[in-house]
Amino acid sequence: MNLFLWIHLDPGAIKTENLMIAFIGYSVVFLSLLLLYLFFRQLPKLLTFNLRRKLRKEGDPEKAAIAGSEIPGEVNAAIATAIHLYLNELHDHETAVLTITKAAKTYSPWNSKIYNVTHFRRL
Amino acid sequence: MEGILRFLSYSGFANVTAGHIVMILIGLVFIYLAIRYEYEPLLLVPIGFGILIGNTPFLEHAGLQIGIYEEGSVMNYLYQGVLKGIYPPLIFLGIGAMTDFSTLISNPKLILLGAAAQLGIFTTYIGALMLGFTNPESASIGIIGGADGPTAIFLSSRLAPHLIGSIAIAAYSYMALVPIIQPPIMRLLTTEQERKIKMKPPRSVTRQEKILFPVFGLLLTGFIAPGSLPLLGMLFFGNLLKESLVTKRLADTARNAMIDIVTIILGVTVGASTQATTFLTPQSVLIFVLGALSFMISTAGGVLFAKFMNRFLSAENKINPLIGASGVSAVPDSARVAQTEGLRADPSNHLLMHAMAPNVAGVIGSAVAAGIMMSFLM
Repeated sequence: MNLFLWIHLDPGAIKTENLMIAFIGYSVVFLSLLLLYLFFRQLPKLLTFNLRRKLRKEGDPEKAAIAGSEIPGEVNAAIATAIHLYLNELHDHETAVLTITKAAKTYSPWNSKIYNVTHFRRL
Repeated sequence: MEGILRFLSYSGFANVTAGHIVMILIGLVFIYLAIRYEYEPLLLVPIGFGILIGNTPFLEHAGLQIGIYEEGSVMNYLYQGVLKGIYPPLIFLGIGAMTDFSTLISNPKLILLGAAAQLGIFTTYIGALMLGFTNPESASIGIIGGADGPTAIFLSSRLAPHLIGSIAIAAYSYMALVPIIQPPIMRLLTTEQERKIKMKPPRSVTRQEKILFPVFGLLLTGFIAPGSLPLLGMLFFGNLLKESLVTKRLADTARNAMIDIVTIILGVTVGASTQATTFLTPQSVLIFVLGALSFMISTAGGVLFAKFMNRFLSAENKINPLIGASGVSAVPDSARVAQTEGLRADPSNHLLMHAMAPNVAGVIGSAVAAGIMMSFLM
């Protein structure tokens, strides 16, 4: 109850200077992020500028137009899956290499007389 | 006998006040929410326990050097990192090292949502002035709307150090309560049709772009608002450590061990700073109310701006306005809320990836807003 009595709204406390701070502040936030937006919108084109110029010089305007254009994530996912599957198929070769590695099984019951004697005693 | 009486006078039972009990209950609620419902547990557990530490009663002004406000106490030394604004930039370094800006780079127009969602900061600044707060205090309260705990602590440490406790608790509480505060506003301001908008999948981003983002991001924002350099400098530096791929060890330390250590110390000291004798004032209650308003206005600002942008976008480039709410920088909770609300409208519509773009833009936006407020009011 005391709190509500204590609350006192005073619109007169707001001066033009305060409104200017709020307005300019919000505009500057917008401006700085707008600059980021404009820069990063143009960045892919800037990064592929040399490639496109080279392709245009080589007389391949079609490829030059495509270079630097957006590759959707789905296409990338498809390419990644294809590479993954391809590399997985190479697995057979890897197993062949592994089979020639000598496996020392000194404890095997098949090659150890003592093992047989100690583990399979006739009662 | 005299010794026993003296011992009793020093004990918590002799010094307990109603305020202490209230604050201890608040601390227990924080811990309960964090453990039972997993609301921001990494923040609420340290803060909640810090509240318990700060509000265990003892004989104040007896030179025991126990309390956080007593010079020479261990807690006071740790609290200097909050008061001097040391911890927030370190947290930003860790955030930068763990943030992937790819979605933002792939669809840069979503950056603007991060700017729009800072509306609450500036409107609450005006509201706080009307309620009798001073200019610097109002700016510190307004920044709660940015939903960024470290930024709120950083700005209030510079402009209104006496309000740090209330502001930090309010900011972190609302960050934890994102799943409760935002959805009603999002539903109120959007139609069923708008919530079902499916966005174009983001394009792939090259390594070059990812490396250039922190460099040019810092230069562009830093030149406009140098006040934000301590925060944005560390954020973008952390991101460069991650994206350069040649400083893996540094990036790993920044995003794991270092940010964890700082979060623990920051959380406990901020919690402990809510000592009942200095914290429980009508002013603190007002700060909580204003903070909630600021947060709601920011959410609405983001959603409405997304709808405004849609007026100028072609059908295939339309933005789902739900992701506008992610422009407040509670990373990644507000993005998760957008995802949940999107799935509610259409179970096949996944917005998380898109929502991360305004979400991280909001981090930049709120830090820029803090920098601007500092340059105006210091």
